[in-house]
Amino acid sequence: MTTGALAGRSIRDRVGDRRVFLAVLVVVLGAVMSLLSPYFLQVSNLLAMTQYGAVIGLLALGQAFVILGGRGGIDLSVGSVLSLSGIVMGVLAQNLGLSPWLAAAAAVVLGALLGSVNGVMVARLGLPPLIVTLSTLFLYGALAQVLTEGGQLGGFDREGFAALGQSAILGVPTQVLLVLAPMFVLAIWAQNRTAFGRRLHQVGTSDRAAGLVGIDVNRLRFRLYCLSGALAALGAVVTNAWLLTARPSAGTGMELQAITIAVLGGIDIFGGRGHLSGVLLALAVVVVLSWGLQLAQVGNSVQTGILGLVLVGAALLNNLISRKAAG
Amino acid sequence: MTATALSPAAGTTTRMLTLLRDALLPILLVAEVIFFAVAAPAFLSAANLANVVINSADLALLAAGMTLVVLLAGIDVSVGPMLGVVAWVGATLFVSGLPPLLVVLVAVLLGGALGAVNAVLIVGGRISPIIATLGTAAVFKTVLFLLWNSTDVFAGPVVPLLGPARAGGVPLVGLVVLAVFAIFAYVLRHRVFGRRLFAIGNDAEGARLLGVPVGRTSFAAYVLVGALVGIAALIYVGRVGVVQATAGQELTLPAIAAVVVGGTSILGGEGGVLRSLGGLVFIALLQNGVVLMGVPPLWNGVLVGVAVALAVAFDVLTRRTLDKRIGERK
Repeated sequence: MTTGALAGRSIRDRVGDRRVFLAVLVVVLGAVMSLLSPYFLQVSNLLAMTQYGAVIGLLALGQAFVILGGRGGIDLSVGSVLSLSGIVMGVLAQNLGLSPWLAAAAAVVLGALLGSVNGVMVARLGLPPLIVTLSTLFLYGALAQVLTEGGQLGGFDREGFAALGQSAILGVPTQVLLVLAPMFVLAIWAQNRTAFGRRLHQVGTSDRAAGLVGIDVNRLRFRLYCLSGALAALGAVVTNAWLLTARPSAGTGMELQAITIAVLGGIDIFGGRGHLSGVLLALAVVVVLSWGLQLAQVGNSVQTGILGLVLVGAALLNNLISRKAAG
Repeated sequence: MTATALSPAAGTTTRMLTLLRDALLPILLVAEVIFFAVAAPAFLSAANLANVVINSADLALLAAGMTLVVLLAGIDVSVGPMLGVVAWVGATLFVSGLPPLLVVLVAVLLGGALGAVNAVLIVGGRISPIIATLGTAAVFKTVLFLLWNSTDVFAGPVVPLLGPARAGGVPLVGLVVLAVFAIFAYVLRHRVFGRRLFAIGNDAEGARLLGVPVGRTSFAAYVLVGALVGIAALIYVGRVGVVQATAGQELTLPAIAAVVVGGTSILGGEGGVLRSLGGLVFIALLQNGVVLMGVPPLWNGVLVGVAVALAVAFDVLTRRTLDKRIGERK
């Protein structure tokens, strides 16, 4: 987009931009929460809040890429990929005595492999993403249970690995500064400034058109699922460094958060449209909301339902906006 | 379909593939029964088979409902949590002394109402079915959690038909399941509503142009899913005897699995409830058989996940090959 086009946008367009709406929402929610709880705006609280956001942010980023890739793209398996790669990392670190850093690297590779299973079935075989990732959601989750027989693993508190999840640099949690932020910066840059980003939008908008201009549609889509798996495994690494235990249920239900954040961020569920910077703002909204509810002593079980309402509301909002744009 | 314009070889392949598609599940079922009968002698006993029926009756009704929306190329991932909510309400009303038939009526109506919530979002709000039902699934989970409020509700079968009762060794609830499947098989094949579901699933825009009321038909399908969930919820209460905080949530995937393994295409427009019944029997026997063989129940998720992935792969690949063959003929 040129600067001329930017300057030409009317005020109404800017107000209609999802990112403006989300930014206002973050501020309003923050104000409400700080009124509800005097602890909300304390520095230590803000830190803990972003620690929580690092994991679901990584999942939401992968989800957004997969959805942007179009043709019904969705990755319901992210939570289970997180669980399984976290457990395998635990097996490597605890049972085999591997360095946690090496185990973490192996976990990310495994995550990409688990994602590539989705990728092969969706992109190479042309199977529907919904049912493919639904079956791997259960398959990977069950494998995580089988590997640990329902128990949990540790062995991560060595060689300074815990610092990744439990320390802060200049007041910013390490996992946010060194993992989440770089990933989002890289992703937003890739979306807006690289050939990959352009191809992603072309593929997401129309398979046929993208194929005609010489894009290998299947290869690109395959890579999106690998990327989503690798990011989910990175989420497992961060979780293990944060909690120092790997549980087979660590990622259960996280697909709801990941999809909610992506949809709230303005990613069109039919692909090809939406900004990753919007996803980052949506992450802020969901994190502020969850944390505020936590402080107000609203339990996790109730938060799930509120998240469900946010998802449905966001989807309705997306439809309203796209219909207005079309009409 | 005439094969006159096809080369003889291509015609044979097409016929073979079509035959394989239709015969695969029965073959697998027979193989499964033989395998488990040999591996676990208790498997073929009448008592065990009756147990399988009693333990999977609620799932069967969920699968029947799921078939309707999958035929529309839709999906409903909220059936498990929805069942939990209805089960809690039904059990609570029953324990408080409401007449059993009234409890059944309330359960069906409540299920239908919850299904209507999905229908409003999907048909009225034009949200994709997976997003809408993922959202309502989360809401239903929370609703059950709030209703449950740290107190398990204990209740028996509301009416004998919806419980583990047997007459001469035959589980009565199996008759309910057969009746429901018979009705839906008839409706799908011979009534306008059923034919409309197929038309919409094949090509929604084309169906609209032909005058099919796409919105109304889809709406009714999601409401019917809810009504079936209502009956299934009471069967669940009769089977488990207690409603806890996460009641029913484990049933969503097996319900979808039964439909997909049965051969109803996840892309819509092809399949039927009797196929889902076949898929359900396959999965129920699989889960029962491996437990009898002494495999830890933790492996259940792995087996069902693999079965679904293989079934979908088979469906889409044969469908594509068939489409290509038919394309060649034109």
